[in-house]
Amino acid sequence: MAQQPARQFAHRRSRSALIIGVAMTVLSAALSAAEAPIKVGVIAPLSGVNSRYGAFATKGAQLAAKQINAAGGVLGRPVEVVLGDSQCVPAEGVSAAQRMINFEHIGMIIGDACSSVTMAMQPVVEDAGVLLLNAASSNPQITYKAGVGGYQWTFRNYPTDESRAAIALQYAVQKRGLTRFAVLAVDSDYGRGAIDFTRKYLKTLGATFTSEDYYKETETDFRPVLTKIKYSDAQAIITYGQADTTPIIARQMNESALGGKLPLIGNGEFTSPSTIAAAPKVLNGSVEVTAWLPEWQSAGSLQFVKDYQQAYGGEMPNVHAFFHWQTLHLLAEAMREAHSDEPAKVRDALAIIRYPSAMGEVVFDDHHQAVLPMALVEIENSKPVIKATMAPKIEYAAH
Amino acid sequence: MQYFIEQVLNGLITGSIYALIAAGMTMIFGVLRAINFAHGEYYMIGTFAAWYAISQLGTGYATSIILGVLVAAAIAAFLGRFIMQRLIGAPFQSGVLATLGLSLILQNSVIFAFGGGYKVFPGGWLDPIEFAGMSLATQRVALIGVTLVVFGLLEWMVRRTHMGKSMRAVSQNIECCQVIGIDVEKVVRNTFILGTVLAALSGVLTGPINVSLYGGMGEAVTLKTFAVIVMGGMGNVRGTLFAGWLLGIVESFVAAYWGLQYRDAVGFGALILILMYRPSGLFSAQARY
Repeated sequence: MAQQPARQFAHRRSRSALIIGVAMTVLSAALSAAEAPIKVGVIAPLSGVNSRYGAFATKGAQLAAKQINAAGGVLGRPVEVVLGDSQCVPAEGVSAAQRMINFEHIGMIIGDACSSVTMAMQPVVEDAGVLLLNAASSNPQITYKAGVGGYQWTFRNYPTDESRAAIALQYAVQKRGLTRFAVLAVDSDYGRGAIDFTRKYLKTLGATFTSEDYYKETETDFRPVLTKIKYSDAQAIITYGQADTTPIIARQMNESALGGKLPLIGNGEFTSPSTIAAAPKVLNGSVEVTAWLPEWQSAGSLQFVKDYQQAYGGEMPNVHAFFHWQTLHLLAEAMREAHSDEPAKVRDALAIIRYPSAMGEVVFDDHHQAVLPMALVEIENSKPVIKATMAPKIEYAAH
Repeated sequence: MQYFIEQVLNGLITGSIYALIAAGMTMIFGVLRAINFAHGEYYMIGTFAAWYAISQLGTGYATSIILGVLVAAAIAAFLGRFIMQRLIGAPFQSGVLATLGLSLILQNSVIFAFGGGYKVFPGGWLDPIEFAGMSLATQRVALIGVTLVVFGLLEWMVRRTHMGKSMRAVSQNIECCQVIGIDVEKVVRNTFILGTVLAALSGVLTGPINVSLYGGMGEAVTLKTFAVIVMGGMGNVRGTLFAGWLLGIVESFVAAYWGLQYRDAVGFGALILILMYRPSGLFSAQARY
């Protein structure tokens, strides 16, 4: 008889140990879930000839992650930026995306800076059911093929070259009285895409192309083409190029005595101080249509410039730094509104979001394209001056 | 007509850059029978050393030319002693692997030390010279002048000096040279240093007009140089100058009349045609190797 209470005691003790064990497992799982970071992939060219874009993009995204985490994170969890190098090569971008999806189990990717890479990643994320939020590629086709156009998992928080091409050409023709243009663009989906859309508006504006040349990303010798342009009747050069190539073209124009004769029209970070310093005579009078520049006068934008400079030793941010910073904040807001980090729920939240950004309210149209303003900037006395800001709506049926 | 002359001039300048780099590569091939896949890297190192001297040490451009060449020579002396010299008599594959490996190491060391982004070359003689309706940076005129002087000196060295004669001897028959007491290893080392110095000189002289520099800039140069040395005849220094000019001029016309996007096709198209129909090069009567 004396054994009975002892057995009961042992039984009770083992049962309570079991309960405590289960409770601790559940609690620790819950705690680790609460602390596990939400991983967001950032794919950008971190090496190769376009590594400048990747460096700015990374710094912008990491600044945003730092700010989000300092304010308590998203859904009580910190945000972690996972980097992937695309080298601005489509195959590399696709393999970086596949590594993120298959090995890191990442459900949300921000990328890429290069249009060719973004276009190659679109079908990959579509098959995997992973959200691709672009913050830097401007080829119009990316969102022509998204939303009601096809791809359900691609969004773009960056203006397209369709609006850019229209704004630039219209200003050059109507305000500057220029009608004959030589084309000198980068030989990529970005450069060729922008020129294709410029061509679309030539007839209605009464303008013509006198010549068309496309340079490869590593090109350094523009003399033969500049000589050809010098002997043609072109009044300006339309260029959609790389930020790092613009100073080369500008300096070689300077030595060809073309400074002040043929303004550059288009996009390629003409307005950055180092580009202007390379050949001020050439760049004065040039016109750039840009999605953002540090001189953008809104409280949010100016605060970003201040925070960025403080975080990175006084370096001036570029458009990619700004848009990657803004896009990660936008994604965090979409997760908050979805009350979840599940890609499908975040995607649905993004489609209807009204996000108050530093550039005004961000909303996506039915092609998942953010309706964003662009600034038309003219360089006067070696300083960028914002002449106008416009947010045109895209007419998709036209192309 | 003036347009035509200006395009020829553009081609001559580009061709001079090619020729300066290719002269070194063809000489190294002559004595080692190995294609130096890292040759463009010495062009890059010369440019980087000059950029560093101007932007970090505050020297003038003229001083930076000397420093750029000296840094490349020092690196070449080291690599020549420990790597290139060992390739004498080694099978073809060893040369390919060793120089490809060196190319990767040199490129990535520079990226590691200075970052992967573009840098802007700060110095140079960029004031335009205007004549007959044409306008050129002084730097380009200097480049053609330096090329002519360098090739004149190379011709003199190869024909008249002991080192030049030794180089020609080694390029013809290594075993015979060893039998009669020519220090083949020393000849290989010296040729290697001379070749890399020419590549570095070309890099420093083109820095101001090409404006930008980055770790991978040598790769494209190496590829273009292949076309030039095959056109000139492998090991033929004088042929290299004419091949460089020819390629530069044809490229210039293709860019002017067809479009810049087709320019690189010229060199590689020429490479295929010459290998098919005249493998000894345009300027050699018979194959040297």
